[in-house]
Amino acid sequence: METRAPVPKAKSLARSFSLAFAFVLAALVPELFIVKPFLPYPFLFLFLGAVVASAWFGGMSGGLFAVILSIIAVDYFFIPPVKSLTFSPPVALYLASFVVCALAASWVSSAIKRSEVALKDARDQLEARVVERTAALMKTEAELTRLSRVLSMGELTASIAHEIKQPLTAVVMNGHASIEWLSASPPNLDKVRQSTEKIIQDGTRAGAILSRIRALFKKETSTKDWLDINDVIQELVALVRAEAQKQHVSLRLELATDLPKLMGDRIQLQQVVLNLMMNGIDAIAAADNTTRDLLVSSWKQGEEEIGVRVEDTGVGLNPENVEKIFDPFFTTKPHGIGMGLSISRTIVESHEGKLWATPRPAGGTIFQFNIPVHAPKLG
Amino acid sequence: MNNPNSVVYIVDDDTSVRDSISNLLESVGLRAKTFGSTEEFLTAPRTEAPSCLVLDVMLPGMRGLEFQEMLRKSGASIPIIFITAHGDIPMTSKAMKAGAIEFLAKPFPKEDLLAAIHRGLQLDETMRTQNAELTSLQGRFEQLSPREREVMDLVVTGIINKQIAGQLGISEVTVKIHRRQVMEKMNAESLADLVRMSDKLKNQILK
Repeated sequence: METRAPVPKAKSLARSFSLAFAFVLAALVPELFIVKPFLPYPFLFLFLGAVVASAWFGGMSGGLFAVILSIIAVDYFFIPPVKSLTFSPPVALYLASFVVCALAASWVSSAIKRSEVALKDARDQLEARVVERTAALMKTEAELTRLSRVLSMGELTASIAHEIKQPLTAVVMNGHASIEWLSASPPNLDKVRQSTEKIIQDGTRAGAILSRIRALFKKETSTKDWLDINDVIQELVALVRAEAQKQHVSLRLELATDLPKLMGDRIQLQQVVLNLMMNGIDAIAAADNTTRDLLVSSWKQGEEEIGVRVEDTGVGLNPENVEKIFDPFFTTKPHGIGMGLSISRTIVESHEGKLWATPRPAGGTIFQFNIPVHAPKLG
Repeated sequence: MNNPNSVVYIVDDDTSVRDSISNLLESVGLRAKTFGSTEEFLTAPRTEAPSCLVLDVMLPGMRGLEFQEMLRKSGASIPIIFITAHGDIPMTSKAMKAGAIEFLAKPFPKEDLLAAIHRGLQLDETMRTQNAELTSLQGRFEQLSPREREVMDLVVTGIINKQIAGQLGISEVTVKIHRRQVMEKMNAESLADLVRMSDKLKNQILK
């Protein structure tokens, strides 16, 4: 903890001294009444213990005070002439060595105590910072996830605009035509009806496109539901097709018809497939080959899993990058931020699946993910 | 008003877009034919009447601008009105430079589309009339004998019959006969008329 309540100096000194006094007294009593009557020579180690304890609990000042008290007590009670503070010269050496030992013990004890306190402080601080940083990182990660969604949507804005402008154009044209048919004499009501029906159709189509996009943009927590992976793929095709055409990429789907439903987050899985498809188109655009195919296929992998594969005829992967591409912030694209595949893998893993990449034998890359199909739980 | 036989071709890969444009044109009394791709348009028979093409820029297969280029090179040019949901400025200027009538961003106002179509049809009609004139002119010119052609070439330079006779080494009377033949076969009313015809023919050869 960085901010400890500061203990007033005088108060802490008084505490150290009284602690030292208590410890020395605690050593003196047994020395006097237990050790001295039974041992012929002065046994003073308990005083050293008192010094160590005082230094430990009261710091250096407490230790030094205990040393002084011990010297007085030893000289007074144990060194002849007893019950006086004087001593005969031959005992001086003995007393001096006691003083040195006591000082050393006090110093070592208080130093250890100090370093232990420092260590504990450091650990506390570290812990607090780890907690703080983890929270910050989690926030950043959530932001990045959203950012990458928004970014990839940004790339798609042109496609979306195109998708919306088509039905809008038809609505405007048919609207004008309706007015013309109405103002003809006699009004051609059949044509008016046909035109109006088309307006309704195209308006509905534009609305459907918008709600698909809104679903992709929504900031939502994972909500899993039973879904058909083929629906997820097909819903994206409308969005990606324009981009594919722009890059002269022919987009093909080979979707198995016998797929069981799986429990998953529709928007998250769309994000994965969208990411893989856009990566594929980017790779093809970067390669400038004559074959410009993007193949998306789905199939039943045994009884337990569904496989999805996005295959491109693009620039291909450097073999040493096959795993690196899934690292956050790793990118081979000049304007990429390197989050797409990392997030995609996280999403697939949260569905208990696996996502990986392999080079395509005839050039290009294959991205594949398998997701287990769990039997519906009863009840 | 346009020729009642005029046809507007619409090429767009989006069914509802091309049908809606066709519906609008029909409602204002224009004939329209729709196609889903440039290939479809190319294989379909074309009318002799004035026509123009409403073309989406982002088509599958051949893209709009490339298609325009191809038509221009093959000489089968037709006035083109580009429509696009992707339009950007470089694309627009490229199309306009290559001779597009108009470049419209979807969704476009009805008036802009109709105005462009009328301009396109008028241009095509003018071009067709000019081409027809030129064809008949060429036909008439081909009926001239080699000597008559020589005389015509010299007559239009403005020199007198005597000089023509001298240059070709024939008598002045013969020149006069050839000259009358030329005027008649070319259906020229005056010398100035003949000069204009000769210019048109020479321009055509230069092209």
